[in-house]
Amino acid sequence: MSLSFDLYVERRSWLHRLDARVKLLFVALATGLLLAMSNLWVMLAALAGAHAVILSARIPRSRIRWVWQMMLPITVLIPLLWVVFYPGEGRALFSFWLLRITPLSIVQGLAVALRIDALAFCFFIWLFSTDQATLVRSLVRLGLPYEWGLVVAIAFRYLPTFYGVFGMIAEAQQARALDLSQGGPIRRARAYLPVLVAMIITALRTTEHLSQALEARAFRPGARRTSLKDLHARPVDLAVGAGLLIGAALLFWLRFRFGIGALAL
Amino acid sequence: MEFPVTHPPCIQVENLHYTYGDEVPALRGIDLTIADNDFVAIIGQNGSGKTTLVKHFNGLLKPTRGRVLIDGVDTAHRSVSELAHTVGYVFQNPDYQLFCATTREELSFGPRNLGLDEAEVRARTEEALTYFGLQAFAEAPPAILGYGLRRLVSVAAVYTLRPRIFVLDEPTAGLDWRATLGLMALVGRLHEVGHTILLVTHDMRLVAGFCRRSLVLHEGRVLLDGPTRQVFGQADLLQQAQIELPQVCVLARQLSSQGIPGDCLTVGDLAGSLARRLGERP
Repeated sequence: MSLSFDLYVERRSWLHRLDARVKLLFVALATGLLLAMSNLWVMLAALAGAHAVILSARIPRSRIRWVWQMMLPITVLIPLLWVVFYPGEGRALFSFWLLRITPLSIVQGLAVALRIDALAFCFFIWLFSTDQATLVRSLVRLGLPYEWGLVVAIAFRYLPTFYGVFGMIAEAQQARALDLSQGGPIRRARAYLPVLVAMIITALRTTEHLSQALEARAFRPGARRTSLKDLHARPVDLAVGAGLLIGAALLFWLRFRFGIGALAL
Repeated sequence: MEFPVTHPPCIQVENLHYTYGDEVPALRGIDLTIADNDFVAIIGQNGSGKTTLVKHFNGLLKPTRGRVLIDGVDTAHRSVSELAHTVGYVFQNPDYQLFCATTREELSFGPRNLGLDEAEVRARTEEALTYFGLQAFAEAPPAILGYGLRRLVSVAAVYTLRPRIFVLDEPTAGLDWRATLGLMALVGRLHEVGHTILLVTHDMRLVAGFCRRSLVLHEGRVLLDGPTRQVFGQADLLQQAQIELPQVCVLARQLSSQGIPGDCLTVGDLAGSLARRLGERP
């Protein structure tokens, strides 16, 4: 799948029409809630909800697969490392020398990995459904200086670009007989050095060209700017925002008053 | 139109289909044979499948359906680094290839990957520096050279692998005409000494001047395949593939009613025909 240009997927859906500030509020609240809770079922429910939102906005399934592909190493590595370094309490399923694996450590490891996946999906709900101009505008309307908003937008904008460039550079080096698939982890890491160096050079060159392009289009930090497209919150946006705030407040209250969602299982 | 193959085939493509992800079909059933020492232009509008096709020749892409044989061996069973012995691929963007501290190191990177001994690596590197006229830049970091020189270094870096087949993906994009001709002269010499050249390009002047065979792709299929002179005679089909002929070809066609051969490909061709025609007049 090619994701070389933008994360944004143009569609006419309720999510796309929703005010970008409300989507940003959702991301902030979801982040806070996911960090406050540790329960595996909560993480699974959050992921299921995020998938439902993405699909209801008619964002292609290939995008979901792309996020999972990106998150796969984290999703696999965290539970593996967790059971090694945080054995937890209770009956051991397996023990050998310093290694002690308990059911609790497995569940905790899974919950932490799925929490990161759920956080990623919450951010991608925002990025898949908000075009770059609206994204910057929403950050600026929330009080961020325009230059900072632009930096954030550019950073997101170039994530898939550099992902694609990394693939192209790896292909170009393989075409010169560089073998990236053989040997152990250290040998493979060393084999990737030419790819990384070429990547850094390309990134620096892209940065220079981008800064020149911005200057050539009269960009000047601190200059007063007008906006072609401004954001206008509709009643439904305000209602969704209020619903999100009330729902999140309720969940925070349940979490800190009764400890719901605090335990791993 | 099919191209008569006279030399033994080095590339055979059988019913090649390729789809990016699950959604985007890029190649839709390509059948093709390329002979040793052929000089083939692969042309077509953006998105027609040119780069996708040639990336199958060194194994960077594996067919979704069908197969690609290099010297009779299916690329599905060979890694890119193995195929790099036979097929040298020069990428469209030289910056994707260059990373070493000096041009000399850059040129020796490929031969070292092949596991050659130091004497052979040095010999190949020095020969490539000479062949491409890069001696003056041997100790310069390639990343800071001008675009034309970076382009040359990227071709030279593949040349040191000594592949029999060169795949050049838009090698002259961004070069001025003098640099373009300089690079194409070097490529022409490679062809003369027996290499097979596959040139992906949008520059029809290069196709007319250098390539004896042209392959036109359109929407992932072969629209035309044959001697360049015959392919350039298929104006309607070329128009379908959004290909515009060089001005000299158009002029020759317009002068054909005056007894000038309508299939002239280059200025030299047309000038020769005009001189002969004028010489015939009383």
